[in-house]
Amino acid sequence: MTRVILGRLVQASLVALMVGLLTFVMTRSLPGDMAYRIAAGRYGYDIVDSAAAAKVAAELNIDQPALVALGHWMFDLVRFDFGTSLISGLPVIEEIASQLGHTLKLAFAAIVLSLLIGPPLGILAGLRPGGVLDRGLVVLSTSVRALPQFVVGLGLIIIFSLTFKLVPAAGHDHGAHLFLPALTLALGLAAVSNRVARDAMRSVSETSFYAFGRTKGLGEWQVFRRHGLRNVAVPIITYLGVQFVYLIEGVVVVETLFAWPGIGHALVHAIFGRDVPMIQGAALIMGLMFVALNALVDALSHVIDPRERRS
Amino acid sequence: MNIVLKVTDAAVFAGKTQLVEPTSFDLAAGRVLTILGETGSGKSLLVQAVAGLLPTGLSATGFTEVGGKSFDLTAPTSLRPVWGRTLGILPQEPWLALDPTMRALDQVAEGHRLVRDLEPEAARLAARSDLVALGVGDAERKLPGELSGGMAQRVAFAAARAGGARIVIADEPTKGLDATRRNDVIALLMKEVEAGGSVLVITHDLALAKQMGGDIAVVLQGRVIERGDAGTVLTNPSHAYTKRLIAADPANWIAPTTHEQQGEHILVAEGVSKARGGRLLFSGQSLRVRRGEIIGLSGASGSGKSSLGDILLGLIKPDEGTITRLPGAERHRFQKIYQDPPSAFPARITIGQNLSDLIRRHSLDNISLPPLMKRLGLSKDLLGRLPAEVSGGELQRFSIARAMLLDPVFLFADEPTSRLDPITQQETVALLVELARERSCAVLFVSHDKALIEKTCDNIVEIAHSGGK
Amino acid sequence: MTFTDDVPPRATGIPVRRVIGLAILAALLLFAFLPLVTGGPDPLKQSLRLSLQGPSASAWFGYDHLGRSMQARLSAALRLSLGLALLSVVTAMVPGVLLGIAAAWRGGVLDEMIGGISEAFMALPGLLLVLMLTAIVPDNAMMLYLGISLVLWVEYFRLTRALARPLLLSPSVEASGLLGFGPWYIVRRHLWPELAPMLVTVGSYGAASAIMAIAALGFVSVGVRPPTPELGAMMIELLPYYEEAPHALLQPIAVIFLMVLALQLIGAKEKA
Repeated sequence: MTRVILGRLVQASLVALMVGLLTFVMTRSLPGDMAYRIAAGRYGYDIVDSAAAAKVAAELNIDQPALVALGHWMFDLVRFDFGTSLISGLPVIEEIASQLGHTLKLAFAAIVLSLLIGPPLGILAGLRPGGVLDRGLVVLSTSVRALPQFVVGLGLIIIFSLTFKLVPAAGHDHGAHLFLPALTLALGLAAVSNRVARDAMRSVSETSFYAFGRTKGLGEWQVFRRHGLRNVAVPIITYLGVQFVYLIEGVVVVETLFAWPGIGHALVHAIFGRDVPMIQGAALIMGLMFVALNALVDALSHVIDPRERRS
Repeated sequence: MNIVLKVTDAAVFAGKTQLVEPTSFDLAAGRVLTILGETGSGKSLLVQAVAGLLPTGLSATGFTEVGGKSFDLTAPTSLRPVWGRTLGILPQEPWLALDPTMRALDQVAEGHRLVRDLEPEAARLAARSDLVALGVGDAERKLPGELSGGMAQRVAFAAARAGGARIVIADEPTKGLDATRRNDVIALLMKEVEAGGSVLVITHDLALAKQMGGDIAVVLQGRVIERGDAGTVLTNPSHAYTKRLIAADPANWIAPTTHEQQGEHILVAEGVSKARGGRLLFSGQSLRVRRGEIIGLSGASGSGKSSLGDILLGLIKPDEGTITRLPGAERHRFQKIYQDPPSAFPARITIGQNLSDLIRRHSLDNISLPPLMKRLGLSKDLLGRLPAEVSGGELQRFSIARAMLLDPVFLFADEPTSRLDPITQQETVALLVELARERSCAVLFVSHDKALIEKTCDNIVEIAHSGGK
Repeated sequence: MTFTDDVPPRATGIPVRRVIGLAILAALLLFAFLPLVTGGPDPLKQSLRLSLQGPSASAWFGYDHLGRSMQARLSAALRLSLGLALLSVVTAMVPGVLLGIAAAWRGGVLDEMIGGISEAFMALPGLLLVLMLTAIVPDNAMMLYLGISLVLWVEYFRLTRALARPLLLSPSVEASGLLGFGPWYIVRRHLWPELAPMLVTVGSYGAASAIMAIAALGFVSVGVRPPTPELGAMMIELLPYYEEAPHALLQPIAVIFLMVLALQLIGAKEKA
């Protein structure tokens, strides 16, 4: 277990390192008049002067030697001192703090929803491989996976909001707003997790221990409950870790589509406006969220799989 | 006699093809019935049919009478209620048959709890006393991954019987086990018989059949060709196949005329020692191999037999000591025959491709292969198959052919026949020895089977045990 | 527990699923690259009187909101997506496989070093890496290409290493060594036949996810920017007109669907 925790800590520092390096290169590659343009963007073209531009340049350590600047940059980063947004002028950390809440809410809803849809269907299909449900799910999963998330999201908007007017398409004031973006993400996740669950259920039901459960005299449901469920859950939980890559990427797209005021949305805006401090903060927090979710998976499989507790 | 299991005209079909002819037999309380046959004889299918366990795609006819009820084998699911309650089915590979994520005690207790309907606490107590009675009381909190093979076997045995079954069906219970573990399993089954239970054993292992006693039925190509009391059948067989099967037991092989070899030394090991995983396997081991000499090496698993052979071949380095090979002999003239033939071939290319690659690599004569294959009884169309598509015996003969192509001076045969059926084993060993003698190729023959070594080799060496930890 | 040593017939030929996938892919490639040979309308040429005109005999795919030929735009976008995806996959595959084999073969420090670098790339979700790279030099397909390749190589490396490691330690490789075969033979006869099916699968899925990523970036307007035809960007442009000209919006969606579907069909592993 200590090794797992240590591994996640290493991953977190690697996230910081990658984000730090990339955003540092970003500041260095800003064109010469960038500081001036940013200053103009912040204060307005009428009142901007060279002093304001110099201030922006200093904020970005543009005027210092590369290595010194990189040192400063990384030091600020690990202190979560991202500076102020070049566009809004507000401290990045404050903006991200409120966005993180929205993104977590969305991610959590999506995961729960996908777990309700994917694994149960997959397990049912895996119990009867080649059956109607199994074949239907193959077609459905393949189709959903062949559509970009924003298309799935658009489809849901058209069906639920525009045609049937059941839920609002965009906004973030109450629970109903959460439904469509969460469902968009959940469908994408479930399209994969139902196949994982199906394959796991199928291979578990073909194991010697599953057959032995039957010949011991247990009924079909008893065998499933005592020897199937836990053994199927292990690969599904493990695979969640892989799915989080998809989730984080999905958050970027889906938040933009549904105008959901989360970190993904903020990141896209920041990249569009080349707001480096904001890019840095958003990317770092998203990367760390990815690590935290993976740590959660570690903990969960620790609870479910007794083998994990023994090593 | 109190008949507990009565089988009438059980037959097995794949579609319309009959795989096992209608067969009838009885099993009495306190008795053993051994069904003896080679791989592919249909012995397992017969018993699977009787217990309602046939894999999908196969069907059965006939009747099984058990627990005072008769079951039609055309409807195998009707037998399910007797599983665990009357028929205890011992899994073939106990390690794999235990749920890897459940503690040993729970896996036994669930039989008492769910099949015998005991209260949870009573079920746990019953399971605990089962494990203690089998000498594995300390395993109860362990997961299967933490059990040794022997412990897993006992836990599985307890689990198979927890539902109250007094008829035990054991399919190849000693497959792949070394001598100690084999005796363990036999003792376990015999204890069951002494306690008044009945055992139905399916095996290809003559020694097991002998030790179990009771009745024997010999199966060949889906038909019982001989049956009777174990003592009678095994000492005085009437059917030609049974005779051959018994003759194939290394203990019954005709001792060879030993050849005192006078040739030069082709391989000399002096004062070799090797440790693995912190354990000293051997030290001060010396060995001199003369040209054309067949040397046997026997010992329990884990005694370092294979490591010694690999050191001689230069595959692993000894911790101490020196190896001297015949000067002037190329490295590829020191070859090895592996225990598991499929693992010794590139899995994704055909055997023929592999052999022709070899011929090209060493610019060998293309004409030496066909006669060699003919000698080994290998047909030409096997060349177009992948290693997994031929039988173990055929593939092992291909690996002999492959080695012989290179005109070897030394062959390390590492348990070359332990995965083969007895008759195939005898044929393979005979061919290997014959070819080696003709070509004056020395062989280091490793086997856990003492009789096989004694009946095959000119000389026998012992591992120089240090007895260390 | 098998009845005989009889062997199952060897699977020969290509599975139907893969044939269908290859057929769709071939058709898309033809649609994308044929105009380069035969010539066709300019994807950037606007003519507002044709705005949102539906399919007709002369223009099967109709026109977009600026009156640009949908056919020309679609095939240009396909060239971009497919070309970029396939290029990235090859760029990622070659070093990934070579490094994987090297790490498995040499082990030790080399293995740990490459392993460590791959960990660094795995730490971040791929799209974040690509997003940040595109922020360094905006509006540049090179950065997309670089970013996607950097994300993809890790998987080839890890899978190759995981596959090669036990294989190189197996008796069959040991036997080939004893028989006098060299490293090249081990690669050609032992490693490659095991690696190739994996590479087809991972390569197809990699190309599919690259296509998705390009479209996603286009959709959030940080990837390739207008007026360059790109499938994701085309969808966001045509979205406002979905009621008056649904055909226009559906076209890029159908193209991306077919492309990813084809790649999934090609990559799908044989299941028993």
